[in-house]
Amino acid sequence: MNVTYRTLAGATALAALATPGLAQDSYSPSEITAFVAAGAGGGTDNFARTVQPMLEERLDTNVTIINLPAASGAVAHQRTATSEPNGESIEFASSTLITSLAAGQNPIGLDLLTPVARMQSDVLMLVVNPEKYESFDAFKAAAEETPGELIIGGTHAASIDRMAFLGLNAEAGFDLNFIPYDNEGAASANLLSGNIDGMFNEISAIQGYMESGEMIPVLALADDRLEAYPDIPTTAENGWDLTFGNERGIFINAETPPETIGAIEAVFEDIYGSEAYQDYAARTFLDVRPGWLGSEEYRAELEKNLAYFQELMAAN
Amino acid sequence: MLSDLMGGFGVVLQPINLLILASAVLIGFVGGALPGISGVILVVILLPVTYSMEPTGAFMLLTAIYASSVFSGLITAILYRAPGTPEAVMTAIDGYPMTQKGEAGKALGVGILSSAIGGVLGTVVLIVATPLLADIALQFSSPEFFALAVLGLTVVASLGGNLIMGVIGVCIGLIIASVGLDPLTGTQRFTFGNLELMSGINLIPVIIGLFAISEVLKRSQEGDVHLASKKFSIRIFDWPVIRQIRGAILRSSILGTAIGILPGIGASTAAMVAYSETVRWSKDRSRFGKGAPEGVAAPEAANNAAAMGALVPLFALGIPGSGTTAVILGAFIVHGLTPGPTFMTGNTDLIYAVFVGLLIVNLLILLFSKPFIALLSKLLDVPYSVLGPIIVICCVVGTYSVQNSLMDVWLMLGFGLAGFLLEKIGFPLVAIILGVVLGPIAESELRRSLAMSRGDWFVFFDRPISAILLAIAALLLVFTVVLPMLRRKRETPAEVHEQ
Repeated sequence: MNVTYRTLAGATALAALATPGLAQDSYSPSEITAFVAAGAGGGTDNFARTVQPMLEERLDTNVTIINLPAASGAVAHQRTATSEPNGESIEFASSTLITSLAAGQNPIGLDLLTPVARMQSDVLMLVVNPEKYESFDAFKAAAEETPGELIIGGTHAASIDRMAFLGLNAEAGFDLNFIPYDNEGAASANLLSGNIDGMFNEISAIQGYMESGEMIPVLALADDRLEAYPDIPTTAENGWDLTFGNERGIFINAETPPETIGAIEAVFEDIYGSEAYQDYAARTFLDVRPGWLGSEEYRAELEKNLAYFQELMAAN
Repeated sequence: MLSDLMGGFGVVLQPINLLILASAVLIGFVGGALPGISGVILVVILLPVTYSMEPTGAFMLLTAIYASSVFSGLITAILYRAPGTPEAVMTAIDGYPMTQKGEAGKALGVGILSSAIGGVLGTVVLIVATPLLADIALQFSSPEFFALAVLGLTVVASLGGNLIMGVIGVCIGLIIASVGLDPLTGTQRFTFGNLELMSGINLIPVIIGLFAISEVLKRSQEGDVHLASKKFSIRIFDWPVIRQIRGAILRSSILGTAIGILPGIGASTAAMVAYSETVRWSKDRSRFGKGAPEGVAAPEAANNAAAMGALVPLFALGIPGSGTTAVILGAFIVHGLTPGPTFMTGNTDLIYAVFVGLLIVNLLILLFSKPFIALLSKLLDVPYSVLGPIIVICCVVGTYSVQNSLMDVWLMLGFGLAGFLLEKIGFPLVAIILGVVLGPIAESELRRSLAMSRGDWFVFFDRPISAILLAIAALLLVFTVVLPMLRRKRETPAEVHEQ
């Protein structure tokens, strides 16, 4: 599968050759095993498989992807945390790492895993059916007039969208209900048919519905209005400190030497800046908010969000 | 629409696209025939390959692989009772006894024909009615899914055999299905602190263990007999047989398409419901489970039809109808397409090329299956002392590959032993599968319905579709369980009186 991708990656390869080798001197793994803490075909898996050939080009080695979706990715975290700390095992994971930690479903914390880099920071949106609510004001009015009646659909009980739901209830003083569905599709179907009042989702997933006007985002969990969607009000302008979204990044065994981690971080920073990666990010609407965070800042971000999620979970 | 369709033919009949379709069918055949390697896995493996292809070819490839893998699961289900895909588990129930009776060729012929008809009918519905049906599918929410699962579970009463054992079997299945995180609250159930049990017990180790491994264990005790060593020839167009199964094919194709369209309910459930309805409406239920051709025709027509039906909500609404279509949805996004309600109008060329591709694939299945099976059936000449271990190895590798979990392999072997012992006392294994597949749907949808109605049980009767489905389930229970019981009670005193 890598061979065929090479044709497309040719341009990337040239670009990579043009930039001086960043880390190859100190860090040259003989092979890399990349655990993916999610099932095949989802956002995190697509991320890993898009980056895979870019990583292979830069490090001149083979990258093997292993999907470990069991237990919301906890099995992948475990495998990564117990791998040889030589920089040859890395993990692709999403914010589910910390939401499942907060929910007590994941024994592998940030003491055992070191964040290497954040590549994606998706913006969560409150999405509603315009036949029910034409704007966030209408939704807010209904939530305040009929407390306990409105239903937010989501994925599972320890998901990032559940955290957004808990956060909105806490910050805005709403009394919304939450129904977790088996997958995002089931929640979308219920939103389209008017069985539920809203759901939290990402731009990439609702693009088609926005175009047809069957679903509209009415609130963005963000600090500032998004450049591409200036009409969507934000949580910050309502005075709510609620700006987290689904983040995807790279993790590694915490015992790995800091210089190796630094070298891997540099490789990913180079990938992040490449045209090929930015093309993919634009195609999948992952560029509404800049994704890059280095190891230190990513850890700080994760720890901040984790503390907040634990607080939300404890209160409910 | 007709001109779009002609345009689709124009695209598909280009040599490169025909080559893509033919290779997709072969890949799907091989993958589907290997236990544990299902359509989902094949589509995922080939996903990166499609990144460098143009979208039309890419989606013809992915959907064609999906269609042909659903088909080829029947081969090993019929020949070795090792369902190649979860969709084919019901096919083994009558297909394998046919092989044991020396009718492997007939069973395969029935399976191939039913699959092709189901697939073609499903595709025609997909072409003609996608936007219309998608709106109907949206009428199904939690109460309707719960009612559908209940209807499915009542089937155990008409499966024949010992009713009490059947009920116990369903309960075992329900317990297996309850392992893992609670679908609504996330509380751990029966996980014993084990990380891997947290996501529950996967369907594939249960199916492969209960059916394939238990059969290998049983055969190993019987010594090295050559059951199917007789040369068999597959007859696809066998008119007397077709007359016998045409009702089952037609009914199951319609049922399969309808169930496939519902988001979240896949081809395995469709095969299960179609099989049980065929049993329920048959004049002589005792033939089922012992090698009835209708028992092969029904699930095969239904699962192939459902596989096509599952594409309806994907194309029309951007909502995947099954696991594999969820992966295909991901592929759309990577290719820069935006699935959703406007997808069909915005990408007419691509959609119709995929439609036509699927029609052709279902016909290619008819064409390619005979030589492919002939190749596979050479394995039947291999003594079982060699073949048995090969089957076990395939099962282990296949199960491991589902989510790279050794735990799944141990579970699979455990279920194999359990299945072997349970069959010795005449336990209906299919009842367990029924519980495992339908149990989680029934449980979570019941609770979601009540959450939706804030605890009001009338939610099931307020909504017409769920009310009708539940009423049918209740009526069927009365006819299959209560009435025969009353009749027996009335007969017993009469006999006493005569004496």
